[in-house]
Amino acid sequence: MKRYLRLYLHFLQFSFSRAMEFRLDFFFRIMMDIIYYVVNILLFKILFLHTDLIGGWTEEQMMVFVGSYLLVDSINMTIFATNMWWFPTYINRGDLDYYLIRPVSPLFFLSLREFSANSFMNLILAFAFFVYALVAYSGTFTIVELINFLLLLLNGTFIYYCIQMLMVLPVFWTHSSRGFIDLFYSLGIAMERPDKIFKGWLRILFTVFLPFALIASYPAKYFIEGLNLNDLLHLTLVSVGLWIVMLFVWKKALRSYSSASS
Amino acid sequence: MNWWRHVVANELRKILAFRSDFWVTFLGQTIIQVLIARALWQSIFDANGTKVMEGFTLPMMTLYYIIVPVGNKILTGENVGFLAREIYDGSFNRYLIYPISFFQYKTLTYLTHSFFFALQLVLIYLLFNLFQPDGVTLTLLLNLLSGVAIFLVASYVFCMIAMSIELLSLWADNIWSLMVMARFFVYFFGGSYMPLNFFPDWAVSALQYTPFPYLVSLPIRTTMGLASSTEIQVGLVSLLVWSILFHLTARSLWSKGEYRYNGVGI
Repeated sequence: MKRYLRLYLHFLQFSFSRAMEFRLDFFFRIMMDIIYYVVNILLFKILFLHTDLIGGWTEEQMMVFVGSYLLVDSINMTIFATNMWWFPTYINRGDLDYYLIRPVSPLFFLSLREFSANSFMNLILAFAFFVYALVAYSGTFTIVELINFLLLLLNGTFIYYCIQMLMVLPVFWTHSSRGFIDLFYSLGIAMERPDKIFKGWLRILFTVFLPFALIASYPAKYFIEGLNLNDLLHLTLVSVGLWIVMLFVWKKALRSYSSASS
Repeated sequence: MNWWRHVVANELRKILAFRSDFWVTFLGQTIIQVLIARALWQSIFDANGTKVMEGFTLPMMTLYYIIVPVGNKILTGENVGFLAREIYDGSFNRYLIYPISFFQYKTLTYLTHSFFFALQLVLIYLLFNLFQPDGVTLTLLLNLLSGVAIFLVASYVFCMIAMSIELLSLWADNIWSLMVMARFFVYFFGGSYMPLNFFPDWAVSALQYTPFPYLVSLPIRTTMGLASSTEIQVGLVSLLVWSILFHLTARSLWSKGEYRYNGVGI
């Protein structure tokens, strides 16, 4: 564990110094994420000009939810997204060989090697908006509830990572340049909507098989509406199940990897 | 002009190189985005207890969001970095030795992608309407063809915007974030996230002076048969003006920037 932590610190150092090589790009990327945040906030602000409730939530409750998914997204962009972007390249060029022969888990290496320094700046901004939404929220909450909320959001980030991996792993078989990562980002809109809007089989899809609705909506629901044991059990089962499925597919994928010629 | 045919054929082969990925992504993106948008609007219509909002019924809203994902693809043609990546890694060299115009070649490859996605729009739109009570009528076909034509004009304008931004990579090493920003602006202020009817009036008035509504909202409204002939005429003139403006910008950036290209990549 200590070895992995030390390794991760080296990843951080390397990523920051690399990010500073292209300063203009560093600045542009921060701007890009800010625009993404503003667009998301404006979207709901405009919708609330025409309605009082969306998915059963008022505007201030919705802002807590928006703050939640922006926070999860910024953590993902900082820690995992760049790695996922490069993943297909490593497989198709055979660069995975170098990760397989190192005395470190290749999954750890492939998932965490690139830390996005510019997104880290935006993580701070997303967190600031999250805090603002909590301050503006007129409901009452305790410190324990807040800590649980944050823990559920961390779990949401983990779910987000697992789904992302499952979308990129087919590259081992298809050898395409991006896997299904574009599809993943399209599906990601489901994370940005309150889960109560999904009914019937769509609800089953987004809460069980592609559990985007569990990433930010369930944590926000816990925070706004209080503890629901069924939801908590559901969240735990799906998170564990997803992790097991992801590891299973990862091992299968590694077995079918045929190095540079693949 | 014979080279045009070969470039188009080559691009189509590239688009269809990974068929399973292509169709899964295409169908997944379109169907899922429509379902998510419909679920959102269903909840808003239900919460308001109304059947019409800003001139849109729920079925119209569904139709709107069926056009949006494919329309966005028509508009944005090739992926982000279609030029910047090649300038960055030095493979841009080949355009300097090709016996054809760099500008024409890049515009053509971009528009080939747009044209292919336009065919997808026709397919999806006809399939959807086949199962509607009115079915596929002559008026619907005419609206669809007009909408697709405007989408292709809009895609040329966006191609020029994209080129203007991508050519900045002759000065800055990495500009894909600028392209993503441009897309955010076009999608949001163009009406991909929601019809512009829902924006405050002052915002809609201000947006008329930008290219955004003509790039997304106008072709969608035309396809749906919601745009008046005056709106289409004004929109086409605006697209023409913006295309000239961005074409000149891209040309001038290229003429200044080509001397900065060192040919070795980074």
